[in-house]
Amino acid sequence: MGGHYRYDGSFAGLLTLLARLLPARILPDAISVDPPLQQSLFTVVTTVETDQLLVEQFWEKLSTHLAPTCLRIVRLAFLADHPGRELMICRYLLLAWEGKNIGNMLAHSDVAPLWKLSQQVGREAHRYLGFVRFQEVEGGFYYAGIAPDHRILPLIAPHFAARFRDQQWLIHDNRHGEGIIHDRNRREWLILPMNVHAEPQLTLAEERFQVLWRSYFTTLAIAERENLRLQQSKVPKKVRPWLVEFS
Amino acid sequence: MAIDMMDRLKILAEGAKYDVSCASSGSFRRNRDGIGNAASCGICHSWTSDGRCVSLLKILMTNSCIYDCAYCINRRSNDVRRVMLTPAEVAELTIGFYRRNYIEGLFLSTGVVRSPDYTMELLIQAVRTLRQGYRFNGYIHLKLVPGADPLLVEEAGLLADRVSINLELPTREGLALLAPDKSRDAVVGPMRQVNKLIVINREERQVSRQVPRFAPAGQSTQMIVGATSETDRQIVTLSEELYRRFELKRVYYSAFIPVITDSRLPVRPASPLRREHRLYQADWLLRYYGFRAHELLDEESPNLDTELDPKTGWALRHREMFPVEINRADYEVLLRIPGIGVRSAKRIVRARRQGHLGIDDLAILGVVMKRARYFITARGRTAGASNLESSLLRSTLMGGKRKQADSQLELPLSRPQADNEIIDLVTGEL
Repeated sequence: MGGHYRYDGSFAGLLTLLARLLPARILPDAISVDPPLQQSLFTVVTTVETDQLLVEQFWEKLSTHLAPTCLRIVRLAFLADHPGRELMICRYLLLAWEGKNIGNMLAHSDVAPLWKLSQQVGREAHRYLGFVRFQEVEGGFYYAGIAPDHRILPLIAPHFAARFRDQQWLIHDNRHGEGIIHDRNRREWLILPMNVHAEPQLTLAEERFQVLWRSYFTTLAIAERENLRLQQSKVPKKVRPWLVEFS
Repeated sequence: MAIDMMDRLKILAEGAKYDVSCASSGSFRRNRDGIGNAASCGICHSWTSDGRCVSLLKILMTNSCIYDCAYCINRRSNDVRRVMLTPAEVAELTIGFYRRNYIEGLFLSTGVVRSPDYTMELLIQAVRTLRQGYRFNGYIHLKLVPGADPLLVEEAGLLADRVSINLELPTREGLALLAPDKSRDAVVGPMRQVNKLIVINREERQVSRQVPRFAPAGQSTQMIVGATSETDRQIVTLSEELYRRFELKRVYYSAFIPVITDSRLPVRPASPLRREHRLYQADWLLRYYGFRAHELLDEESPNLDTELDPKTGWALRHREMFPVEINRADYEVLLRIPGIGVRSAKRIVRARRQGHLGIDDLAILGVVMKRARYFITARGRTAGASNLESSLLRSTLMGGKRKQADSQLELPLSRPQADNEIIDLVTGEL
């Protein structure tokens, strides 16, 4: 039992690791992403290489034994920016491995924390369906910068791909250094590591629409009902730099 | 050009902002080759400084109006600048905002120019440009103009996701007093027609999916509360009727805020937002909790309690139904416990299949224990003094708010007018 394991940080990598651990009912002491920050003197670290074939078999097995909502909880929790997420997922799935019906055990101590974490991620992803602001950039595409707490890009990409099919666009997650690119000709989107070094060059139409939107937004508020505390709970300060109407 | 557009946009947004509908949900429109789709759950894109959510470009086509309604800033006899957007301009603005993901769609209303039919045609033209010219599949909420031709009403419903026609005032007398140019029949006629068309459309689509959708997100209405002297009981009963007879998706309540002076209007209505908040809570109980209007309000107490939410009020009047054992009670009974909402009730039903729940498990499931504790048992054990005498329990449940009201250092005038929960409900969340 126990032990310290390392994987490459991808979902497939974690599944490879779990495919090895779960059948043996091993609950590790730690799971970390390769390369490790620091190694203590006496721990033996096992590094697991991602094995695509094993992942596919394992995922199929999970899909037949677990309800779709449980798989979704695992997927969402994996995207959380939370250092203990791998171990939490491991505990959760071990419970299922013991034959428990984890889908309904919402109050269980190995289920509730993961469920809550996945809810946080899901909620943030939903909020970002509204919080993305595209800017029309010279060269004919739309750029949006965001800085979400969790790695929500894979969750929001299908929404924007369906909605802005006829548009070339790019959503850049500045916090995690990755972005989605949508190619309207090939009808595809792709998540890539991404860093932006220069300010985007906005078109004239873009500046006009930003001015119009800001003035529209200010007009909407009913002065007699001002409630800045409520506004701040809905639009936290940390997201405002990315929203046209607050800049 | 741009400056002029900005002025007009400001004026026309100003004129539409008191319309409270902000829903963009309940529709499902797929994007094939154009732009936009309608998500079945609503998406808020921003929140204004009064805490209301922004999901639609909410504007008037024009603020000119041939009517003279006492409460309306755009009434004929009011001296304001009159402007208009062309249908093409409305469409262009909508697309420009939509492409940048500022909005979820369009909410288009208008003052009445020339005639109801002419005005309705203008609205339809704007929406047709969006749907056909721009191949826009996003959410559109279109106001129907009272008195417009039934053919135009039908066309509107085929282009929009949701249509609505404002009831304006809860009673016929109120309407006659404050909106003498509008009649209850001119409002209820189209409402009934839309409902019929929705029902027919639903049946036709059962047979063939090729039949285009008619107002897939249904219809809603709005009324102003507090401008005339009706009771909450009248309002809630009316809403119940509207939900039952016309299958309305939402009834919106807009607390009267004087934007214009008129001898027929009250000068400063008493705590309008608190009342609006309680009405939305009662409305929620009608739509999602299986309550009937007469359970919430009767002739002896025709107005909602401002200190307690209507469900807690109901529970206090029916102590004989409590405490409820949460491991056994039916879903419908769980829903009637203060502090337990639709979501937590569903979770309880799911979770207890795996084993009996204890008191401590409930908070994890989202139950508001502050209220629920006095009304439940779990495995036979209570979580609070469930045998408290009603009047004592009442003051206990009001506890938090009392303390605030009595605080010494704060002048009543400096207290913010709205608190968190109030606008939360306006935005459609519980």
